[in-house]
Amino acid sequence: MVFAGTSSGGGTSSGGGTSTGAGTSPGGRRPAATLVWVIPPAAMALCAALAVAVVPSGARATVAWCGVAATLAVALAAAEAMRRGRLITTLRTRLTAQETRFRQRLADQEAEIRRLTREVLPATVDRLRRGAMVHEAMKAVDYAPRLDPDFDAAHEQLLRWVLETVRTEEDLRDAGQRAFVNIARRVQAIVHQQALDMREMEDKHGADPDVFEDLLHLDHGNALIGRLADSISVLGGSRPGRQWQKEVPLFNVCRGAMSRILEYERVDLHSVADVAIVGPSVEPLIHALAELLDNATRYSPPKTRVHLTAIEVQSGIAIEIEDAGVGLSEGASRRTDSVLRQAATGFDLNDLGETPRLGLAVVGRLAVRYRFQISLRPSAYGGVRAVLVVPQDIICPTPAPGGAIARAAKLPPPKPIKRATPLPSPTRTGGTVAQGRPGPGPGPGPGPGFRQNGAGLPQRRRRMPMAAPPTRVDSAPPAVPGTPREAARRPVQPGIWLDAFTKGLNGEPIPPAPPAADAPDPRDCHPIPDGSGTPHTPYSPNPSNPSNKDE
Amino acid sequence: MSEPGKPGDEGGPERLYTVSRGHAPQERRHRPVELVSLIVARAEPEPGTAPEAAAVLRMCQFPLSVAEVSAYLALPVSTVAVLLAGLLGEGRVEVRAPVPAAVLPDPELLLAVMHGLQNL
Repeated sequence: MVFAGTSSGGGTSSGGGTSTGAGTSPGGRRPAATLVWVIPPAAMALCAALAVAVVPSGARATVAWCGVAATLAVALAAAEAMRRGRLITTLRTRLTAQETRFRQRLADQEAEIRRLTREVLPATVDRLRRGAMVHEAMKAVDYAPRLDPDFDAAHEQLLRWVLETVRTEEDLRDAGQRAFVNIARRVQAIVHQQALDMREMEDKHGADPDVFEDLLHLDHGNALIGRLADSISVLGGSRPGRQWQKEVPLFNVCRGAMSRILEYERVDLHSVADVAIVGPSVEPLIHALAELLDNATRYSPPKTRVHLTAIEVQSGIAIEIEDAGVGLSEGASRRTDSVLRQAATGFDLNDLGETPRLGLAVVGRLAVRYRFQISLRPSAYGGVRAVLVVPQDIICPTPAPGGAIARAAKLPPPKPIKRATPLPSPTRTGGTVAQGRPGPGPGPGPGPGFRQNGAGLPQRRRRMPMAAPPTRVDSAPPAVPGTPREAARRPVQPGIWLDAFTKGLNGEPIPPAPPAADAPDPRDCHPIPDGSGTPHTPYSPNPSNPSNKDE
Repeated sequence: MSEPGKPGDEGGPERLYTVSRGHAPQERRHRPVELVSLIVARAEPEPGTAPEAAAVLRMCQFPLSVAEVSAYLALPVSTVAVLLAGLLGEGRVEVRAPVPAAVLPDPELLLAVMHGLQNL
């Protein structure tokens, strides 16, 4: 009965134990533990039996009842103790299991959080920065359910919240940059219009040196404002300035860069390769060069010159800017390199700091976008030598070798009259055409076609070919017939001149005059006495006194 | 830059002060060229000459007035004057006074001509 009670108690408790903590309680220990709890009731029963045997027979029945009751009580207590022991064991096992489970879960969660911070967040934020929307970025995250759904949900919510915050910040930054660019664009538009107006005014007041001077001054200041606006626009991730439709010769690009810096007079433009830059790349190149030139002039002594050359190299055109300034220290060199590199990886307006040094950052940006290679190295003069290599694909043959003239200039049409024999200047020996035109040669007297008579009048030699009839007395200013070229072009028969002369004397009508008579040679004029050092000749063209009548 | 009304003409990226290289202030005081002075080239353009100077040298094979040069180059007269002053300093052009249309001939010359005619 006792055993059945204990065994039933043990059976129920062990049943609960196996159901909750199966496998964790050692199977061998349970019979021993059970047997231990058999000992106290057994010892009690033994003691009761001994007491029944020892006591006188009159009290035996009483003692036997007491013994039975005590044994029962001990058995019950033992059974209860055994049950509790089992329960404790079971609970402990369960607790251990639970602790292990919790530990595991904690480790998993830690791993998950670590994954979130180290892998998921950077990747997603990066994706976001590159323009993806939040839900797109979220979609790309690996959502294999790792842990309980609550945790995963919270995890996802956290991620979404972070991404949305980042997105908002990015939008804010973009808006800021756009505002910058927008303002820069407006400034550029005003500057551009101003430049146009200024150029018109320069043309209008070109003859008044004082006004012109002031206009140039204003124009220069305007160009400097334009460069600043271009810089802001580039840093904001946009294009610099205006677009060019056609290609522009490199010479003009270099000069355009010069016109945008403060001390353009200090820049010496040396040999420039005869190529042109295709339209879309003109403005970035001008701007990059202007920034480099500005850097060179700003960080070199004011008296020194800055040399600008452009030579062809294998990979394109290398434009070199060399100054004689303070040079690059080790640290400065590293800093410039880092600025250029940083520009390659992206740029933040915050990085500019309180005293922004925009130049290099702008150059770096442009270099990345338009694939210019830029290097800043110590120069042989002690200054800095900046080399900007323009890639081959934005170079094209130039339409105007040597550079174009500022505005589309129309050169005078080639003169119809060509010299038969090129007259070497400045000594212009007469040859067959010495007409009375004493060239501005160095000889002190008239040309070899002349001799002087007693009256000091230049007298024509005989037998000189003569080109035109003599009597053209219309009042055209220097109506001197027969330019040297005319004579050379149209050989005259000997004797004709005499015929014409006599006809003229007799007042006979002249056959149609050769056109040369009223086409004065434009060279027909004096050298300025103090102008160029050529001597003054006594011959004076005179409308009313054609020299042909000298004879 | 580009001129309004001439949309095809973009102009160049450079401004006028770089064309005249900022020499204007010191050259202006003794400006050797007048609007009507005639310019004659005395040298061929060399490689490396600025395009404006080269154009002046090319077109002034024939004498041209400063005003004409300015018109052909589409540059203001002051800029052209500075350019020409530079070329003049290098001896690559020569400046001649314009033809004095209203000057009466020297009386002695007329007299000599008359004597010459009478001696014929």
